[in-house]
Amino acid sequence: MRNLVLKLHIYAGLLTFAQLMLYGIAGLVVSSQTAVERPKVPHTIRYVPFTAAPSAPDKQVADDVYRTLQLPLTRPMPGWFLRRTPENDLLLDFYNINGIWRVVVLEREHRLRIEEIRNGLGTFLGDAHAATTGDDEAPSLVRAWAFYNEFAMWCLLAFCASGLYLWLTAQARSWWAWASLATGTVSFAALWMAFR
Amino acid sequence: MGVARDWHGQFCRAVDGIPLTMYKIVRNIHLLLASFSLPFLIMYGVSAVQMSHSAWFQMKPAVHEHELSITAGLTDARAIAREIMDRERALKGEVSNIQPNDTGVVLRIVVPGTVHEVRYARGSGVARVKTSVAGVMGRLNRLHHWAGFWHEPVSMKVWGFAVAIVSTALVLLGASGLYMWFTRRSERRIGVALLGINLAFAITLLTLLRISGP
Repeated sequence: MRNLVLKLHIYAGLLTFAQLMLYGIAGLVVSSQTAVERPKVPHTIRYVPFTAAPSAPDKQVADDVYRTLQLPLTRPMPGWFLRRTPENDLLLDFYNINGIWRVVVLEREHRLRIEEIRNGLGTFLGDAHAATTGDDEAPSLVRAWAFYNEFAMWCLLAFCASGLYLWLTAQARSWWAWASLATGTVSFAALWMAFR
Repeated sequence: MGVARDWHGQFCRAVDGIPLTMYKIVRNIHLLLASFSLPFLIMYGVSAVQMSHSAWFQMKPAVHEHELSITAGLTDARAIAREIMDRERALKGEVSNIQPNDTGVVLRIVVPGTVHEVRYARGSGVARVKTSVAGVMGRLNRLHHWAGFWHEPVSMKVWGFAVAIVSTALVLLGASGLYMWFTRRSERRIGVALLGINLAFAITLLTLLRISGP
């Protein structure tokens, strides 16, 4: 039994190695950040000709922009997310895992201004670690990643159980490992209580 | 030492050519990091399940409201929050979402899992506090998202420190696990295949995601 659990522990670890590294790196990235702010400054701005359909509601214009630009890994703009600039132009933020395409519909100029705001690598990895299968409308590439994430998530829980089992069934259990477990548990419990 | 002596027979068969001392050190590091991180990793795993399958869990927070009378005429949100926290010891946390308006200030006092939304009326000095307390799963969810050293309260800084330690531990657990697998010659062939599948999939997908712009 112990040998079987050990094999599964090793195989699952190898099969989810990249995800576990990613989770650790994502934690280190957010630990090193000084605020929750994401970048807002565009690295490039470009213009594309576009004429809004006459008498079209904002949602329809947003859908037309979405179809015209076909920005990768984005999704149609939900109605509640439509905004306007101080100049009263329609503002559309198309999010993807790398950042934002901020599109302003300049109707009087018959064109779109497209600002490209790119997240740093750390933020990208942090967002990649957060992809879940619960998002049914996510692009297929993100969905594929989310399914592997889901597998790694269950494996992480399985590692906790199997690792504990392997340790408890080892013939010798060092006192310092007990002390380490106690330290981690007491620290977690103390912080949990501190937040109550 | 007991571990080394008791495992020695099996160990020698499994780790051909790898120095015993090195293996013992790495295994002990793996055990030490894992045992310390265990409660945190369970928290991350369980809350990840909650986020991925939110329909499985009841997440409605308990909400109650009450009023406090504090000094009238205050305009500084931090002074308002300070006075409220001084007045009620149970009301503590990080001040955020400050929104001044014509009649006063709206702000939040937050700890992971608990949000106190304060509506302060400048004229009367009345602060209406709406407190939302998450259940166990809601609190785990908030803790999963909480990290960094930039938060004000000491408890949150300590939590941020713990997150940094556990994150480092997770990376080291992976690296030490990889080393220990490699010492087991009998597992190398299948292990290389599994690791290759994982790395190929992860690197390909992450690269495709990253090059998708903007």
